[in-house]
Amino acid sequence: MKKILVVEDNELNMKLFFDILQYQKYDVDKAYDGVCAVEKIKNNTYDLIILDIQLPKLDGFGVLEKLKNENVNIPPVVIVSAYAMDCDKLKAKKLGINNYITKPIDINNFLKTVCEVIDEN
Amino acid sequence: MAGIIEKSLNLIDDIINLADVKDVNFYTMVLEMMSSIFVNSSLGIFFLENESFILKSALNINKTIDEYNFQKTYIDKLINSSEQIIELQTKKDALLYKNTVLVRLKIRESVFGFCLLSSDSEIDIKTKKAFLTSVNILSYKIKDYELNEVFKIQLKALQDAIIEKDNAVETVKKQHKKLQEMDKAKNLFLANISHELRTPLNAIIGFSQALDSKIFGELNEKQAEYIKDIQISSLHLLGMINEILDISKLEAHAINFSPIELESKRTIEEVINILEPLYKNKNIKVEFISNYDGIIKADYQKFQQILYNLLSNAIKYTQEGGKIEIISTTCDKDYILKIKDNGIGIDKKYHNKIFKKFIHLNNIYTKNQSSTGLGLTITKELVKLHNGKITLESELNKGTTFIMEFKKMVL
Repeated sequence: MKKILVVEDNELNMKLFFDILQYQKYDVDKAYDGVCAVEKIKNNTYDLIILDIQLPKLDGFGVLEKLKNENVNIPPVVIVSAYAMDCDKLKAKKLGINNYITKPIDINNFLKTVCEVIDEN
Repeated sequence: MAGIIEKSLNLIDDIINLADVKDVNFYTMVLEMMSSIFVNSSLGIFFLENESFILKSALNINKTIDEYNFQKTYIDKLINSSEQIIELQTKKDALLYKNTVLVRLKIRESVFGFCLLSSDSEIDIKTKKAFLTSVNILSYKIKDYELNEVFKIQLKALQDAIIEKDNAVETVKKQHKKLQEMDKAKNLFLANISHELRTPLNAIIGFSQALDSKIFGELNEKQAEYIKDIQISSLHLLGMINEILDISKLEAHAINFSPIELESKRTIEEVINILEPLYKNKNIKVEFISNYDGIIKADYQKFQQILYNLLSNAIKYTQEGGKIEIISTTCDKDYILKIKDNGIGIDKKYHNKIFKKFIHLNNIYTKNQSSTGLGLTITKELVKLHNGKITLESELNKGTTFIMEFKKMVL
């Protein structure tokens, strides 16, 4: 079973991601803030990270930078964010993240992207 | 410069000498003399007839009507307020600033006129200002109290006018800067609002989609209907949020255009799928005629947005059971996309207007349809970003076709 970490601070959005991913038979883990996400990624092996940008304690970009600085092996990442400004997408690209989905998500597209990214890696 | 002073002072000497002659043609001769010396200059000369103080003549005033008017008022005031003969301390009086000279014309102890001479065809505002300041200094040397006062009053009025003008320019500059800052703040505010609205909308759209896809079980007829209604409303809301964000980005020139290679057919089909609940709900048939299935070079999100805007508009303005066609073709390396509906159409008189900001044709044609009035403005800008142009063919009650021609988009 493929293991996915969802990093999302909004309770309802977390529930949505959790439910539909679990339904697709993924093993889903949760992190509600950036610091918790970094800890979980350091101590577990995930096949994919679903990462929000705006997060308490440490934002999504901060999570990626921290992992990079600590030489942690970063699993594939799909950024799912309501930040719809192009500069945010550019910033994500600079950090090597090419999968960027803008909220609100289309479930089918979301699941397709998740599936594709896991398959590619 | 020294030349002008020389000439001016010589002139005064000549005038003084002439005054003794008491020739009836006195003024004419002075005028001729001055004209010959300052033929290309700004020159105003004002004569006061001894004791009666009457402005007699002015020369070469065509080019410097403002200076002339100023001098005239100046002298008029002088005439009205001074009944005594002015006494001057010095025999020769001339004031120079840059290339402008003020000379007082005197006969023995009496001033009979003032003369403003400049080698420039026009006296600039700085010179004028400095000149006025000089006159102010000069006025203190004049014993006559009333004259001094008139000078001061006149000067103050003029200086105030100049300061007022300068202040006005300064105020306009400040206001402009403030407006620019406010505009920036507005764009930032809109971007933030858009973000805040998307977060709850994600849950609304996501959960209703999850229910609609029936992955968690079947729904009864009413439940299925309501879920569709929620989806339609949330898509509507999303559309408006996107438009507000887009226009703020376009206005802030913060839009990032990054074309990539796209499968044209798949890219278009994705948009049609997103809008499926909207057109199915109105029982509209959407047909995609893809005469070119190859690769195009476009910005994925923005290209889809163009299509999304036009297709959702077509759905909005097409009646129940209507038909929409999406036709993609090529012409050499140009990619042509048409969105054709058999809806209510647009009157010819609105064809030029509809791409402008905040134009709502739905106010004219349909009720119960709300929009930001930004959709087509954004669409046009996005088409332009893709080096394309957008036109329309439409007739009232027969339908509308939007035609887009993208230059060299085909790979």
